[in-house]
Amino acid sequence: MPQVEAAVRVRPLDELDIGAIVRIDERITGIYRPEVWEQRVGYYLRRDPDASQVAEADGRVVGFMLGDLRAGEFGLEEPSGWIERFGIDPDYRGRDLGKRLFETILRHFRARGASTVRTLVDQKDTRVAGFLGALGFTPSGLLALEIQIPPSAQESS
Amino acid sequence: MKVEQHTLERKYHDAVEHWRRHWLPDYDSLMAGWEKYFPKDDRFCLCAKMECDTPDRVSVGEHAGEKKRLAPDELTEDEARHLLAIIRAQASTEFGSIQQHSGTLARAQDDEDRFWVLRVMAEELRHGYQMFHLLLSQDWSKASGGVQGREMVEEILSMGTGSHVLDAFNLEYDSFVDNVCFAALVDRVGKYQLTMQKVCAYKPMADSMPPMLREEAFHLAAGVIPMRRWAKRAAQGDVLITMPAMQRSVNKWYPRALEMFGDERGGDTNVKMGFKDMKNRPAQDLYIEEVRRMIRDINLRYLRARFPDYRPEKAEQVLDEFERTRGRHQGVAYEDLLKLPDRRFFRRKGEPAWTMVGVDGDTFNDVEEYLRHLARQLSEAYLASRDMRLYAETLRGVASGQLTVEDATRRMPKLKRVGGTCPCSRSVRWVVEEPAVEDRR
Repeated sequence: MPQVEAAVRVRPLDELDIGAIVRIDERITGIYRPEVWEQRVGYYLRRDPDASQVAEADGRVVGFMLGDLRAGEFGLEEPSGWIERFGIDPDYRGRDLGKRLFETILRHFRARGASTVRTLVDQKDTRVAGFLGALGFTPSGLLALEIQIPPSAQESS
Repeated sequence: MKVEQHTLERKYHDAVEHWRRHWLPDYDSLMAGWEKYFPKDDRFCLCAKMECDTPDRVSVGEHAGEKKRLAPDELTEDEARHLLAIIRAQASTEFGSIQQHSGTLARAQDDEDRFWVLRVMAEELRHGYQMFHLLLSQDWSKASGGVQGREMVEEILSMGTGSHVLDAFNLEYDSFVDNVCFAALVDRVGKYQLTMQKVCAYKPMADSMPPMLREEAFHLAAGVIPMRRWAKRAAQGDVLITMPAMQRSVNKWYPRALEMFGDERGGDTNVKMGFKDMKNRPAQDLYIEEVRRMIRDINLRYLRARFPDYRPEKAEQVLDEFERTRGRHQGVAYEDLLKLPDRRFFRRKGEPAWTMVGVDGDTFNDVEEYLRHLARQLSEAYLASRDMRLYAETLRGVASGQLTVEDATRRMPKLKRVGGTCPCSRSVRWVVEEPAVEDRR
């Protein structure tokens, strides 16, 4: 943990943040996957760069939150903000960086006409679920459902 | 956040569409492939977008605190003339970049890269259209010496590579590497200009900036992300794309990009009139630091691909060592990495114009030796261009004392398309501009 509390700056995502996001993800998951983040950052930048934010401290990016505004999915015609990916460098946790990122994105969603922000979380991931709960997220009336695709007869024989 | 969309009067809209059919012939394939490459994204719309809730008070310059101007008549004649030149230059660059991209677009090795650039081209067309909206929705005659909006639109649509207002838009691409490096380097200057103009004291101009900036964010990604992917491929031994190929393209575009900021000593008028919030040199300084970050990011991508077992800290440590010693590491040489050229390298405008400074900042005294140095730093295709021949001749004139620096900058001939807006029926010829007062924009 750095000894001195650094000034934190939250700003919109840009294309030069990919390396930092890859690094944060690698610190959290132990997996180096630049191709995934190149694709995802390209996606968010072309849709709405202000809906994704990064947090800088000590002169480098130490947290990110990626989202966008969508309408017309799952029968939800009104525009909703979606928070889809986020990560905080483990050395910088406990400083409310996630909250600051979320509040910045929330202001943007509000300005774009959204009245709801949505996300999905693995119920077994208590750390992430706890973080989202602390931000004010509550279980939605929408239920996430899935089904495993059974192998075809040819594959199972 | 409220964004209004406007369409030009039919005859102007049709003129832009006509121009698009010549310079963006793949537009239909972009539309056909939109869902595949940009799923969920709103479809492209050729229109002007005005953000309505921007500040209505001037924030910089001698009119700070006053209400922003809504029409050219509310500006002084001098201010209106100055702003008109900015709008005209902005429009010229938007259309110019499409012409440049179109020359080598089909050479992209990867369809996704090609579609990304195609989308960039379509959005640049929209940005040009946006500037036309500014020109045509108000009466600029007091600033234009009586030239009507119709004539200004015709002039801009008739420009070809060689006759655009800014030099970066007068060079042709040599390969698809240029498409990508141009997006990473020259579009980045565009981002700076648009950001500076967000404060513009002329409100319609300020209102135009946020939608353009949102689109510009992807344009930079369309440059940097392919460069990152190419660095990985180069590190893995792919002979079809190399770090030296990218470096030569960086060396070609970076000096022109720096010159787009205007003379390092200028920019006071823009700030004084409230049109931009930074002068040229500070903006250029920030840009240089950003490009330095970009180069470092791409080099780290290269090193991680070359040494997959290295942790990020180790790769950064190796890169730091390279930057300090310019040595070697486990078979990789400093020359294998991308480098940021010196800001005075290969300049023909601005403070270091026509000085002979090498890519690493070393100074040359002999013209022929300097040209040999340039030949090692630039692509063969570009060396064989008319632009380079004229540059070399002019440089020799400056070095021998036959030309002053100011004359040399002015005497660079430009390719002019003369006649009307339709490129299919008009001729092209080389002309030398009459000497004019150099505008330190």
